[in-house]
Amino acid sequence: MGSSANKPQLIVDGKRISGRGPMDLRNLKITAGVLKKANGSAMIEWGNNRVLAAVYGPREVFPKHTTDPRKALIHARYVMAPFSSAEEHGRSGPNRRSIEISKVAKHVFENNVLVNQFPKTMINIDMEVLQSDGGTRVAAITAASVALVDAGIPVRDLVQGVSIGKVDGMQVADLDKNEDNYGESDMPAIVSLRTGEILLYQMDGKLTRPEVDNALSMIFEGAKKVREKQVEALRAKYETDVAPQE
Amino acid sequence: MDKKIVLPGDLVADKPVKLEGCFVENGKTYAAVVSVTQEDRTIPLKGRYLPNYGDYVVGIIKDERFSGYSVEINSPYEGQLSNRDTREEFRVGDVVLVKIMAVDEVNSAIVVEPRRLTGGEIIEIESVKVPRVIGRSGSMLAILRQYTETDVIVGKNGRIYLKGGNTVLATLAILKICREAHTSGLTDRMTAFLQNESKKVN
Repeated sequence: MGSSANKPQLIVDGKRISGRGPMDLRNLKITAGVLKKANGSAMIEWGNNRVLAAVYGPREVFPKHTTDPRKALIHARYVMAPFSSAEEHGRSGPNRRSIEISKVAKHVFENNVLVNQFPKTMINIDMEVLQSDGGTRVAAITAASVALVDAGIPVRDLVQGVSIGKVDGMQVADLDKNEDNYGESDMPAIVSLRTGEILLYQMDGKLTRPEVDNALSMIFEGAKKVREKQVEALRAKYETDVAPQE
Repeated sequence: MDKKIVLPGDLVADKPVKLEGCFVENGKTYAAVVSVTQEDRTIPLKGRYLPNYGDYVVGIIKDERFSGYSVEINSPYEGQLSNRDTREEFRVGDVVLVKIMAVDEVNSAIVVEPRRLTGGEIIEIESVKVPRVIGRSGSMLAILRQYTETDVIVGKNGRIYLKGGNTVLATLAILKICREAHTSGLTDRMTAFLQNESKKVN
């Protein structure tokens, strides 16, 4: 969190610092199948966030002794490029924060992929943050879900999410870096719209019980918009396959 | 009925049915992979090959042991070839056509009847597109062979072995089939394409 001394005015005349209304998401664009060597891949451009997700597998497990004869292992790796952020992120490679996000992403996909269909294998999901402006974990997982589908790996649903927070006493969707740093609370979540399940749910800061209830309904509302973009990306890639005959 | 694309999580049927690339939850059937649905069938558009009993696949010898060989079959799972099932000797890197004799509950495969493939070239395609390369009762393969004079051996795992004739044209044709795999009237268009292209060469 940023120091309160240089905190900007986050809400002016009911509009946010970026000019958005409380429920407005930033511009969102997803492209499926951007990498040739990966089994599946996706690039997400969400506001100023840029995340590249790549999926490899199912393939032989490495290291071999970790093999599970009942299901596929999910290895998720979230990393931020050293040049991804305005603030200094130091050396490249995983740090405390990205290890945590890798772990929660892994749990999302363990409950999403039909892992029992691929015993003795592993699936690698790599999420590389090229540019960050708040909300990269939901962006990364949203992109990874598209990449998984692009890889032809069976999943229960497309998963997606949005972060809901509280800035200057107002609950808003899809926080950017300023709102995240100087706001009172940030709550990212990943959901499956088909079942209404919540697959990731974290919170920073404080919210009251009614605020949490409100945030949850905002998450599902935001997720619908995000899902549309995911579907658009996949249709753009696969629709040509079923084009009407000449 | 029209062909329709379905994405994971899309409802395919209101009752539990066993379909390729689908799963059943609470008595309803949903898609698990990007597929095309047509009437009461789903065809996945992507996915890795899983060994299946009776399939012929093009494999590469990956490892040699006292009792046999491990065969890489373009899949997350390997095939095992026992010395008991062959008199031939292979070396790591040899290309073989093998038949899948048995698959166990964790998808490990036993392969038999190895046939060594030498002097040709291999191309790899999506295994889900193999049926289109073969065509109805081998019609597509027949025209490929007719116009390119290439020996084409198609493994169910998406590996295709080409030898002799115009392999460049054969490769181009196969890649075209994969690109247009889900359009109808493909065999006729491929015939036209091959006729046209083979004229250019002569």
